[in-house]
Amino acid sequence: MRTPLVAKDGSRPGGLSVEWVDRMKADASPICEVRDISKAFPGVQALDRVSLALNAGEIHALVGENGSGKSTLVKSLSGVHRPEAGEIRLRGEVVSLPNPIVARQRGVATIYQELSLVPSLSVAENIFLGRFPTVASGQIIDWQTMRRESVKTLRELGIEIDPDVVVRSLSMAEQQLIEIAKAISEDSGVLVMDEPTAALGLAETRRLQDLIRQLARQGKAILYISHRIDEVFQIADRISVLKDGRLAGSGLARELNVDSVVRQMLGADVTEHYPKQRNTKNEVLLEVEGLSTQTGVRDVSFSVYAGEVLGFGGMVGSGRTEIARALFGVDRPTGGSIRLNGQPVRFRTPTEAIRHGVALVPENRKADGLFMNFRGPENITIANLAALLYGPFLDLGREMRFSQDYFKKLAISSTGIEKSVQFLSGGNQQKVILARWLFSQARLLILDEPTQGVDIGARIEVYRIINELTAIGIAILLISSDYPELLAMSDRIAVVSNKRILQIFPSDQLSEYRLLDMASRAHHPGEGRTHET
Amino acid sequence: MRPRRSPLSRIPVMGPIISLFVVSVAVTISTDRFLLLDNLNNVALQASIVAIVAVGSTLVILTGGIDLSPGSAIALLTMIMASLIKFEGMSVPSAIVIVLIMSVVMGAINGFLSSYGRIPSFIVTLATLSIFRGVAFLFNAGSPIFSVSTSLEPWFYGQLFGIALPLFYVLITYGLAWGFLKYTPIGRRIYAIGGNESAARLSGINVHQTRLIAFIIAGLTAGIGSILMTARLNSGSPNYGVGTELQAIGAAVVGGASLAGGYGHIVASMIGAAIIVVVQNGLNLNAVQTSWQNITLGAIIVLAVFMDMWRADFGRLIGRAWRRWAGRRVAVSEQDADDT
Repeated sequence: MRTPLVAKDGSRPGGLSVEWVDRMKADASPICEVRDISKAFPGVQALDRVSLALNAGEIHALVGENGSGKSTLVKSLSGVHRPEAGEIRLRGEVVSLPNPIVARQRGVATIYQELSLVPSLSVAENIFLGRFPTVASGQIIDWQTMRRESVKTLRELGIEIDPDVVVRSLSMAEQQLIEIAKAISEDSGVLVMDEPTAALGLAETRRLQDLIRQLARQGKAILYISHRIDEVFQIADRISVLKDGRLAGSGLARELNVDSVVRQMLGADVTEHYPKQRNTKNEVLLEVEGLSTQTGVRDVSFSVYAGEVLGFGGMVGSGRTEIARALFGVDRPTGGSIRLNGQPVRFRTPTEAIRHGVALVPENRKADGLFMNFRGPENITIANLAALLYGPFLDLGREMRFSQDYFKKLAISSTGIEKSVQFLSGGNQQKVILARWLFSQARLLILDEPTQGVDIGARIEVYRIINELTAIGIAILLISSDYPELLAMSDRIAVVSNKRILQIFPSDQLSEYRLLDMASRAHHPGEGRTHET
Repeated sequence: MRPRRSPLSRIPVMGPIISLFVVSVAVTISTDRFLLLDNLNNVALQASIVAIVAVGSTLVILTGGIDLSPGSAIALLTMIMASLIKFEGMSVPSAIVIVLIMSVVMGAINGFLSSYGRIPSFIVTLATLSIFRGVAFLFNAGSPIFSVSTSLEPWFYGQLFGIALPLFYVLITYGLAWGFLKYTPIGRRIYAIGGNESAARLSGINVHQTRLIAFIIAGLTAGIGSILMTARLNSGSPNYGVGTELQAIGAAVVGGASLAGGYGHIVASMIGAAIIVVVQNGLNLNAVQTSWQNITLGAIIVLAVFMDMWRADFGRLIGRAWRRWAGRRVAVSEQDADDT
C-alpha cells in the first residue's frame, strides 16, 4: 500500500526512482489534453475555461465539491456534453466528441458511478455489450471467442470472476470491476472514473486502487474523480481541484497536502459554507424502537427531538433509505414501534404519514419528487390540496397567493410560477419540494440527499432553510453521502450499516474519517438487494 | 394547469382549432356538399357522440392509462337499453338511469382491475373490449333490436332554442369535465398521477382510487354515448360502436393529450373529435371506401402523436429516459450538471 507521499528512500513501487518516472512522463506528450473548455447550463457556468492534461501512466485525480463541475468535465470527455468553447486533444490531435460512442471509439473509456451493466446478462456478455464478436458475416454471435476474450481480460486484471455468471448475482464491488474490465477490453488509452469508490467499503476500495495502479503502470492515462481527499492522496500522482467550474489548482500529489487541497475546494470561508444553527428543543418528537421491515431493516431504535437534525451516515445500500421509507409508510414495518409526539403510530401509506406531519424529500428529485407537467404552484400544493378547498372546489387564487409567498420566502426563481418546474435549476426545484412540505405543515422532514445536484449557492440556501425549519421546531432526518455536509449540518449522527444503526454520536465527536471507517468496515455490499428510490 | 406546449400557441386549444380550420377548408374545397346545412347538422350530430365518449378517454389518458372498451360498452348498453324499453316496457327516463348505473359499473370493472388489480389498463380494457361485446350478443339472440320506442328519438333529434339537443349535451359534459379537472382535488390528482406516479404516491395521493375514478367517469361518458346512439337510431345492436374507442382516443390525441399521461386539455379533445368527424365526413362525401377511411383514421392518430413528440420539449423526453435509467441504478450520485 503506497502512502500519499513518496516513500523515504524516494523510490516508487516498480523500483523506478521518482526522477526517472517524472522525466519519462514529461517526455511523453499527454495522451489527452483539455484546453480552456467552458460549458454553461441555464443559471450556472458549469465549466469556465478549464484545462487539464492526462499523461500516460499517470493517475490524475480531480477533486471538488458537488456542483463544482467535475461531472460536467467527465461528460465533456465522454461525449455526453459538448463544451461551448475550448478543445479536447487526443494524442495531440484536436477531436470532436459528439456522442459517447465516438468517445469510446477514440479510446476514452468512462466509468460512471452509476454502473452501466445489464443485470440480467452474463459477465462476458456485459464486457462485450454492443460489440459482440461474430461469425457468419456478422450475423451470429461467436460465443467461444467472447468467452475466451473475457477470460483473458479478467485474468490480465487479476479479477477472479466466472465470465458465465449473471451480473445481478455479483456484489457492487465486483460489478465495478466488471465495468473496468469492459472499459479495458475496448483498448482505451484514457480511463475516466467518476467516483468509483462511492459505493465501496475500505477493503474493496483498496482492491480497486491496486487495479488502477496496475493499469497506470501499463501506460494508461487515468482521470480519477472523487470528493474523498484521503483516498485521493493515497492513489493520485497529480491532483487538480475544481471550484465553481474553474480550475482552482493543480499539482503533483507529493507536493500538496490535504489542508491546501481542502482550502482550494471550499474556498476561504469554510464556516460560512455550513451555516449551522443548533435549535434542538428538549421535546422528543419521534421515537422509534426496534423497527424492522421486509426490506431488511433490523431492530432500529432512535429518537429525534423537535428542532433537531439527526444525520444518517452510511454507505449506499446500508439501509438509510429503507429506514426513511418505513417511517414514511412506503414500506410496511414488520416489527417495532414508532411514536410521534408520544402517540403510537403505524403508517400503511404515505398519505397517512403526511396526515400526521411526516414528509419525505426523496433522493431522486426528478423521478420521485417533481411533477414536470405542473408549474411551481401546483407542485407546492399537491400534498395538501385540502387547504385550498372552498366548498368542494380548489381556490386557485389562494393557491397562487400561497405559492408566491413561498417563492419569495425561499427565494425560488419566479420562472417557476408561470412555467413548468422543468425549467428551474436543481436548487430551485429542491426548494419547490421543500415548499410543498412546508405547505403540508410537516413536523418531521426526512431529507434524502437534499443537496445532490444542487449548486453551491443554492446548497447554502438549503442549509439556511434547514436552520429556519429547525428554529420553528421542525425535526429533520438528514440522509447524506456528502460527509462534510452531514457532519456540519447534523446535531447528532446515526451510523447506519447493514440495515442497522451501529451507534449514535453527537456530530462534533465524529470526524469524516471515523464516520467513513465505521460505516464501511461493517459494510457488506451486495448482501440483499439495495432498495433505494 | 399545463405548461404551454408550443411558443406559437398561447391558448392551449389554439393548435387544434387551427387544425380544425385547415381540415374544414380542405374538405370544403374537395366537395361542394360539405357546407350544406343538412350536412353540417349531420356532422355535428355525429361528432356529439364521439366528443362525449372522448371526455372519458381523455381522463384515462391523462392518468397515463388507456381505455379501449367504450365502443364495446356502447354496444352492450344499447342492447340493455333497447331490451329494457321494448321487452320490459320500461319508461325511457328509467331506462336511462339504469343504463347510466350499468355504465358506471362497467367503468368500475375496468378501473378496479387496472388500479387495485395492478393489470395494465391496456390489457384490462382489451379484455373488456371483447367481453362487453360478447355479452351484447347474448341479448335478443344476438340480433339487433329495432323500433324501440317512438318516445326515444326526441332525446336526440329534439331542439332547444332552435339548436339540436346533442350540442347541449356536449357543452354540458365538457363544461363539467373542465370544471372537474381544473377546480377539484381529484381533477388535479388525475394530472398528477399521469405526470409522475411515483411522486404522486409520495405526495400522499391515493393513486389507485384516482385511477378508479377516471375509469368510472370513462364508463359514464360511454353510457351517455350509448343512450344517444340508441335514441339516434331508435335501436340497439351488438354491432354498434365498432371503432368508437379509436375515434375517442384519436380525438384526445389530435387534441394534444400525451399518451404518456399528465398533459392534455379537455376542451381540445372536443375539437379533436370535430376534426376526426369532419375528416370522415369529407371522405364520405368524396365517396372514399370505408377501408380507406379506416386507414386514414389510423394514420391521423400516428401523425398526431408524431406532431406531439415534435412539439414537445425535448426536456420531457430526456427526463423520462433519465427516470427510467435512474430508477434502475441508484447510487450516491454526485451531480449531473443537467440539474444545476
